[in-house]
Formats: sequence, C-alpha cells, structure tokens
Amino acid sequence: MFTRFEEYAASQMLGHADSPPRSQGKLFFAEAWQRQLFGLTLAVAKQGHFDWEDFRQQLIESIGDWERLDCAAQPPWDYYERFFAALLQVLERQQVVTEGELAWVLADRPLRSHE
Amino acid sequence: MSSDLFKYNDEREAASAAKVRALEALLIEKGVIGSDSVDAVLDHFEKIAGPFNGARIVARAWVDPAFKQRLIDDTPTAIAELQLPVGMEGAEGEHMAAVANGPGVHNLIICTLCSCYPWPVLGLPPYWYKDPVFRARGVREPRAVLREFGVPIGEDIEVKVWDSSAQIRWFVVPERPANTDGFSEEQLAALVTPEAMMGVALVASPTAA
Repeated sequence: MFTRFEEYAASQMLGHADSPPRSQGKLFFAEAWQRQLFGLTLAVAKQGHFDWEDFRQQLIESIGDWERLDCAAQPPWDYYERFFAALLQVLERQQVVTEGELAWVLADRPLRSHE
Repeated sequence: MSSDLFKYNDEREAASAAKVRALEALLIEKGVIGSDSVDAVLDHFEKIAGPFNGARIVARAWVDPAFKQRLIDDTPTAIAELQLPVGMEGAEGEHMAAVANGPGVHNLIICTLCSCYPWPVLGLPPYWYKDPVFRARGVREPRAVLREFGVPIGEDIEVKVWDSSAQIRWFVVPERPANTDGFSEEQLAALVTPEAMMGVALVASPTAA
C-alpha cells in the first residue's frame, strides 16, 4: 500500500502496457515537455479531477489506437504523445476542460526553437 | 532524406511542447491545479524518493564501517541518521532492511509474490523486475540469472537470495570498487546504481569505465 499518490500512480503502470520509459530507477524523459506532461497529469489526478485508473485505461487505449494504424499512416512511436492524447480525452470526459478549450490547446501556434 | 526527418522530429517535439505548455497554463488559470503543483509532483520523483537516496546510504556505509554495521543491524534507524529528504520514508520504505555484499557473499533481491520494492532508496523498478520469469528463476537458479546480467559469481562465493515482501523490502550494500581511495562520499555515491543495490550488478571501478 502506498501513502503517496505519486508512488501509487507510477506503480500502477509498472509492468503493464502503459508502463512509462525509465532508466536506472528514474523516469526517462527524452524532452523537457514530456517531463512537464507527466508532472501535469499526476498533479491533476492528485487533485481528484479524474480517477488514475480511468486515465490508465485511456492510455492503454491510446497506445492501441497507434498500434492499429497502418504502417504508412503511423507517426514514429512516442509514448508521451499517446500519454498526452489520453490526458486530453480524460479531461474532456470529466468536463475539466470544454471542447472549445481543448481546441485552443491543440491549435497550431508559433513554435519556439530548442524545446 | 535524413535532414528532413530531423526537421520533422524537431517540429513535432516543439509542437508537442507548445501544446503541453498551453494546457498547463489553461489548467492553472482555471484553478484546476496550483502554479506549483507540477513541480511538487516532479520533486517527489527527482528529489525526495529515488535512487539518489540509496546511493548516499551506500556511500556512507563505504566510508564509515560503524555506520555500515548499524545499517545492517537496524536499517531504518541508521538511515534516519543521514537526514535524507523529508517524506522519503513512506509506506514503501518503512520496513527496509539492508544486506551487505562481502568477500564470500553476494546478495540478490527479488520479489516472488508481488512487486515490493524499496522505492525511497532505489526509485522505480526496472522493466524486468515484475517479470514472472525473472522472479521464478531468481529463486531457482540465481547464479545463472546473475551470469546473464554479466555478474558471474564464483562457486566459492555464497549467493543469498532475499525475497522482498510487504513486511520487509531489502536492498544490497554492494562492495566498494577499487581505485576509489580518497573519493568523497559524493563521488562514491555517483558510482552506485540501482541495479547494484538489487544485486544484479557490481559497482564498476572508475578506471574500468
């Protein structure tokens, strides 16, 4: 049993299809935004806006969606892109964000370099 | 063209970064999370509970034999001496016990029934830790498993297998590597890996890297 939400959340994923990349006992993030996304997702769940298990199931589904794509249409594998898609779906389903807000988040915007 | 692919990847990463940043700003603005909530969660993994704690414990044991003995005799009390980050001693860490490798003994930690693991000192367990094959073979043929990890253990060395459980979560104090005379505790801690504290690796000598 875990008394810390952070450890509960991470442990639920270990050894399963939604297991996060890790190396030498630490979470492994190839890019800074992946780290920010992981922290953001746990922070929102910790506040009770969605159930962690619901998010996990959505993530497994999101990974499955990618796997079912034809090779030609498949973007390169990126665990945290699937993670982000799952988070947005759960946030919308739980009405934490509206459809309009979601569209704003996903809108194309000028890119900063070196991110 | 490979340069096109790199450009594509850079743009893809930058687009993802921008969207995550937008979502975080939105959730903070809506009051869903506080402005420091994300950092607080990440701090747990990066500063409070993780393999950096185990590495500090091992480094202290290497430089202070009396501490090492106290660590083996009463692990939680000895760890408390080190003033590790507040909050690291969660439920996963409260029943930790250390075992030390020595000239005639090598320790291996497994968990046959669950995935019990001393998170506060070792961090996240590796992928294979929950693999039923690893768990079963660790008990049945630990020498063969260790050989596959690149740790051949001579027949003259006893291999002890410790099964972590909800009651006791074991970790290994590996042997101090050669060529580390005069190293500070900080330098020593940098050599210690989670795998060495599980007993599936040795701590490499700095010149052997």
